[in-house]
Amino acid sequence: MASIPAPPEQRRVAITVWEGRISPVFDVCREIQLVTVAAAHVVASRKEELGSLSAQDKVERLAALGAQTLVCGAISVPLREALCVRGIEVIDFVAGEVAAVVAALLRHALPNPKLVMPGCGRNGNSADPSRRGVRQRRQCRQRGR
Amino acid sequence: MRLGGTVISRRSSGLDGTVKGNSGTPGEPAATLPKGISTDAILESISDGVFTVDSHWQITSFNRAAEQITGIARHEAIGRRCADVFRASMCESDCALKHTLATRSPVVNKTGFIVDASGRRTPISLSTALLRDAHGTVVGGAETFRDLSLIEELRKELSGRFQVGDIISRSPAMRSLLELLPRIADSDSTILIQGETGTGKELVARAIHDLSPRRAGPFVAVNCGALPDTLLEAELFGYKAGAFTGANRDKPGRFALAHGGTLFLDEIGDISPALQVRLLRVLQEKRFEPLGGTRTETANARMVAASNRDLPLEVEHGKFRQDLYYRINVMRLELPPLRARREDIPLLVQHFVQLFNKLQGKQLQGVSAEVMAILMAHDFPGNVRELQNIVEHAFMLCRAGTIERSELPRSLIPMSRTESSPGKMLETLQVASAQALRMALERHAGNRQAAALELGIHKSTLYRQAKRLGLTFPATDGRHHR
Repeated sequence: MASIPAPPEQRRVAITVWEGRISPVFDVCREIQLVTVAAAHVVASRKEELGSLSAQDKVERLAALGAQTLVCGAISVPLREALCVRGIEVIDFVAGEVAAVVAALLRHALPNPKLVMPGCGRNGNSADPSRRGVRQRRQCRQRGR
Repeated sequence: MRLGGTVISRRSSGLDGTVKGNSGTPGEPAATLPKGISTDAILESISDGVFTVDSHWQITSFNRAAEQITGIARHEAIGRRCADVFRASMCESDCALKHTLATRSPVVNKTGFIVDASGRRTPISLSTALLRDAHGTVVGGAETFRDLSLIEELRKELSGRFQVGDIISRSPAMRSLLELLPRIADSDSTILIQGETGTGKELVARAIHDLSPRRAGPFVAVNCGALPDTLLEAELFGYKAGAFTGANRDKPGRFALAHGGTLFLDEIGDISPALQVRLLRVLQEKRFEPLGGTRTETANARMVAASNRDLPLEVEHGKFRQDLYYRINVMRLELPPLRARREDIPLLVQHFVQLFNKLQGKQLQGVSAEVMAILMAHDFPGNVRELQNIVEHAFMLCRAGTIERSELPRSLIPMSRTESSPGKMLETLQVASAQALRMALERHAGNRQAAALELGIHKSTLYRQAKRLGLTFPATDGRHHR
């Protein structure tokens, strides 16, 4: 069932969660924290189970929940594309405690070099620095979603 | 430090030391390496990735192959949590290291995938072992993993299978159909997919979408047979607030949601004549009006329709509009039933066993020869979906090894007489006979006389054998095919 969209001044953010940290792989994650933020405050927060859903159904579920942004760990390219198509901004390869990530989110400090998975090149010392990061997010935004 | 059954002394970063023993028991005689050779050199020289973790799941060593497979430099990996570095499909739900540390038993050749920094999935197999110090105390775990990308590619080549999207086949009939898909996908024309229930019509529609220039757009599927007419109309075209009682706000229909993508209308043969007229208008004019709306909206979705009904016959009987049929039948794909491509059954069984192994965390090897013979002889009126359900049923009953006959649904076990038949040879013979009879009847459209002639037996023998084997004859007797 589709959710009521967040009011314009609010933003609904889905954060993948596992043992109090960001789940390592979105493709197989089982739970999200759905956080509604407004003016640097969390105005609502609830958990949603995704456990039994296929990867594609997870994408559909996030869209149905009205998520505008997804904060997650690793994510495979087809799923990232599918989320982009549904207008969901993806902040990926994030690692760390959920509380720290939410605090960074409220400060508009995501992506953050202190909360990034190793090897993901935001501080320029990745094994393959050219492969991802800001460029891909910009492409996603440029699709007008 | 002891890795599995091997004691390794470790410096502050990475594994570095000498092998002192090869058993898991402290105090056993040590098998020393030649002077000057350290475990560090061994770990660096092997092509399998190896990393170790401490009791807080933090990486303490990461060899060169691990760097190559994951794309993560050692200095970035060490000190980080293993799940953030390794990013494997099993980290969250079925961590092999956690299992090993909890049960003190190793995990061997568990398969899954990791997601690298470019978002690419790499298939891997992994094994785990306990990490002990020189006193035999467990201080963490070690994981070795292997990149299976090349093996996976070779395996696909060797199996000779043909795959488009999620459709797997080695049947020539399917192959020619699947080879057509890229060319069909390129155009924007409407496509009609016909086939019995469970043959994979939606998979084909999804593959067409994924191959088409519209692949970046949404794929929206509607089962027209699942909704009553009024609901289906609202679902397809959407409605405006106030269009009817309870319509408190605007709701976009599937045509609007599929904008820029593909709209898949399944069971299109089930829609009412009134809705057929509206659908025809959308197809002709590429425009539609939401319920209660005053403004016309443009439909920009490629339409793929499917039906398990014989639509030309429905047109003949006046149940389906001829003009709509011609409008959707620009390109027609006919999916063969599974009984017409039995060579795919072993391939599909293997696929479903792998799928349920992953979903249910089991490691079943496959099905026994006897089970395969039963499956090969079955008619599969529910097609691939029925086969999937049979494998899923067996998975609930089978804990390890191979799926045996007793784990199949009872309805599938062909004859009660076979239960008491002594010896497997007789059983196999009966299954083969049943299959030969069934296939001969199929080839001759149910004509008993022609089937008996082909098999070199009298028609009465055919009847007798069919009765003994528990076969039922097709509804049509095919005599007009004489």
